[in-house]
Formats: sequence, C-alpha cells, structure tokens
Amino acid sequence: MNELTNPSKASKKDTRANKVLRVLSYSISAMIMILFLLALIPGLKYWNIEFFTQFPTDGMKAGGIFPAILGSFLVTIVALAISIPLGILLGVVLSEYNLEYIKFVVTILSGIPSVVYGLFGLGLFCITMGMRTSILAGGLTLSLMVLPVISSSVYETMRAIPRELREAAYALGARKSEVIFEMLLPAVKKTIITVSLVSAGRVIGETAPLILTAAVFYATDLPRSLLSPAMTLPTHLYFLAAAYGEKARWMAEGTASVLILFVILVYTIAFVFRREGK
Amino acid sequence: MNQRNSDFTEVVIEIKDFSAYYGPKKAVKNANLKVYKNKITAIMGPSGCGKSTLLRSINRINDLLPEFKVDGEILFHGKNIYDKDIDIYTLRRRIGMVFQKPTPFPMSIYDNIAYGLKLIGVNDKKEIKEKVKWALEKAALWGEVKDELEKNATRLSGGQQQRLCIARAIAIEPEVILFDEPTSALDPVATQKIESLIEELASDFTIIIVTHNIGQASRISDYTVFMYQGEIIEQNFTAEILRNPQHEITQQFLSGRIG
Repeated sequence: MNELTNPSKASKKDTRANKVLRVLSYSISAMIMILFLLALIPGLKYWNIEFFTQFPTDGMKAGGIFPAILGSFLVTIVALAISIPLGILLGVVLSEYNLEYIKFVVTILSGIPSVVYGLFGLGLFCITMGMRTSILAGGLTLSLMVLPVISSSVYETMRAIPRELREAAYALGARKSEVIFEMLLPAVKKTIITVSLVSAGRVIGETAPLILTAAVFYATDLPRSLLSPAMTLPTHLYFLAAAYGEKARWMAEGTASVLILFVILVYTIAFVFRREGK
Repeated sequence: MNQRNSDFTEVVIEIKDFSAYYGPKKAVKNANLKVYKNKITAIMGPSGCGKSTLLRSINRINDLLPEFKVDGEILFHGKNIYDKDIDIYTLRRRIGMVFQKPTPFPMSIYDNIAYGLKLIGVNDKKEIKEKVKWALEKAALWGEVKDELEKNATRLSGGQQQRLCIARAIAIEPEVILFDEPTSALDPVATQKIESLIEELASDFTIIIVTHNIGQASRISDYTVFMYQGEIIEQNFTAEILRNPQHEITQQFLSGRIG
C-alpha cells in the first residue's frame, strides 16, 4: 500500500534502477568503442596509396595489402551472392509452410563454431568436389555459415507479420505466391537488407574457415579465377601475427585497421537502413 | 435506413443446412439464411455464437485454418461454393471482406489498393490510378489522403485505415462485401463514418455485416439474423425483430440480459 499512497518513493526507486542500467549500458558501449578504436587507430598512420595498391614485399617489411583486400572482397561477394537469396528463400519456406522442426535444426546450425564449417568446407568443397584451396571453396563455406543466420532472421520477421494481414491478402483473392512475393516480402524488404549487411560484416571478418578453404600466406599473382587461392584480410592478419612476429607488426596494425574500417562501414549502413525502416 | 421489404426479391447467397466445425467443435449448427441483393444483412449475437465463423465461411477464408470442416451448402447465385470445381480465388474476388482490426498492408496508401487491382490483372498504370481514385472516393477517404498517396498506410488513423481497407475491397468491384465487426476497434466518430459509408455502399453492393452491437444492426441493416451458441435463433426484417422478437433468448439479448 505504501507504493500506492506514496508514489514519489516508488518512482524514486525506479529512477535509481534506471540510472544504474543507463550507466551500465553506456560503459559497455564505451568499452566496445574503445576496442574498435584500439584496433583502428594504430594502423591509420600506415595508410597511403602504396599500402592499398601494392603487394607485400621484402618478407612483409614493405609494400601493401592489395591482394588481401581484393581476396576478401571476392570471397565476400561469392558468399553473399549465394547465401542471401538462398537464406531468404529458406526463411520464407520455413515460415510460410510451418516447418517448425526444420527451423529448430537451422537454429542449431547457426550456433556451430565457424571452424567446424571450415572443416566441413575443406572436406566437401576442396577435396570431394575438387575445388582445392580457392576463393570459390571459401565463399561457399562462408555462405553455408551465414545461411542459417539469414534464414532465421527472415523467418522471425515473416512470423512477426500478423495473421490478419495474410488473411486480408487472401480475402482479395490472392494466391499463396502473390501473398508471399507481392505483400509479405516487400513488407520485410528493409529487414532483409539490414540482415544481409550484418551478414556481410560477419563474412568479412571470418578467419578460421578461410584458413582451411581459401587462403594462402602469400600470393605473388592476383587470383586468375574463382578457383584460385587468395589472400584475405583476416587470414593475412592471422599469418602476420602467427608467423612473422615483430618485423611485420606495422603491417598487422595496418591490416587490422582496414578490416575494422570495412566492418564499421557495413554496420553503419545497416544501422542507417534500420533507422529509416522505423 | 428502414425496411424496404418490397424489393427483397433477388437472392444472391443462400445458406442451406450449413454447419461448420473447428476440429470436433461444431461452431455453426444447421444454419439457413437467404441474403438479398443490395441489402444489408446483419448477423448479430454474443461473442462466440458462431457469427464470425458463418461469415468467414461465405468467402472460404476459414479454409486457411487447418482443422476447419463444413457440412451443407452455401449457394452463390445457385452454385455451391464448397463444390470441388469452385475456384476459391475467383470466389474471393467476387465476395470481398473487411476485418475486425484494420489490416492495411505495410506499404503506401496507393499500393494497398493497387495490390488488389494487380491481382485481378489490371496492369495499365493509368487505369490503376483512376481506379485507386474511384475507390478512395467511394470509401470517403480521397479528400483526406489525395495529397499523400505515397504515405505508408500504417501511419493513417484507425478509422482511416479501416476506410482504406474498404476502398481496397471495393476497388476490385466485388458483388458482396463481408464486414466482420468492422468498427469494434474504432472510436465513436470513426464508427459513425464507417456506418454511413456502409449504408451508402448498399446501393452498389450486397452487404453482410457481423456485429455484437444491437444499435449498429438497428441503424444500418435491413435484415437481421440473431445467432446464439452456433444456431440461428431468429431472423427477420430488422425493424420487425427489434420491435417484436419471437424467441425468449432474442428478447434477453436485445434487453441486455445476455451478451
């Protein structure tokens, strides 16, 4: 009864809890920002035209990281070109045909560590299907990895659309395909774009699967086709740190900053899109 | 509106010994009813009496529910709509529906109406434009939205959303429009607008409206059906049933003792 008769006391308690939560969330955000900046800033001083356009030379002591940028770009394109359409399709089918138990399997798949996907890709694409270590094998592996993520998001978004809207479309004489493609999918277009961008962010930064399926330490040529191996930003960073030590530290810092830049870029676009969607 | 008993001539829909089930539960029991052209038929009764189920059987929208089964016949111009050779998509184009909660699609006002038009094969941009305008005018919404047709329909007020849904339904020019408690989510002012709109629409369309509001039935309908626990208890011209209900349950409902 105290709270009822003395509202000021209750609301005071409430504001205190709010304050604590606000401080907590701000400090967590700040910590994340600091981590980002720590990865971004030390490398900025190595940015110049040469760094973005040259091959690494002199045992990673000079040159640039152009092949790694190009490789990351190609692997990401392959991965998204496959996973986005398939992911949307799978999400739609799972939601509109009530395949809840398959959805459960997909949810589990999205929790599997990426290195396991790497091993699977190595076995299936590189060895069994004969793609060897290549951009295509790496892209396919990463597309398998983000497929469950994309389809889960599409599924959840589709499910959030009230049943009444579907009924209203059917009541106009729409067929199932006309409900899905002309009403439901346009309604979730913005979410799908956001999800795709977030997946792009994940794909760009993925390392372990690429070490197993696509990446090489060092390439003297640019990849001739999607069946060539390639350097990528995250694997380059890993190899520099693991094998070259202090003399290549500068290049590692530079590579990290470029990688972070790309990730920030992609997430910013996703964030802006989500904002506009609301 | 009052009873226009004299011109109750052309039967559009005839419901014959019709029963509907959700799994083992019988929601509508042996209903018999004739719906006349260009009249407003109200189906009235307390919640859970089966009135919505009966309405949702007329355009077969309840077919979407997995456990739904029917018995008996619903004749639309003499043809049973539950026959195997009926194309339910054509059926639903000829028998439109407006729902309890407004159901604007999350797209622009214009696209909401264009969606239905494209379904019936209207693809010419100019023709779509004209029909969108015609439907919005008919639904008494044109004046309010003519300068913002590209606005997202979900940002309209509840009453405007419901009139948009009516515009969307009439744009494809059905013969019959089913209204499932169209004002239960609206305020009195919006309700009044929708009611007078429905009265006007009766000159072009045949209307069946489900309501648990006696006042609404008396204000706008020509013929009233009273349902209770899945059965049609009584039906008559609206003025007649209100003045002189034959059954005790109808009397109790009308006097507010049940419902």
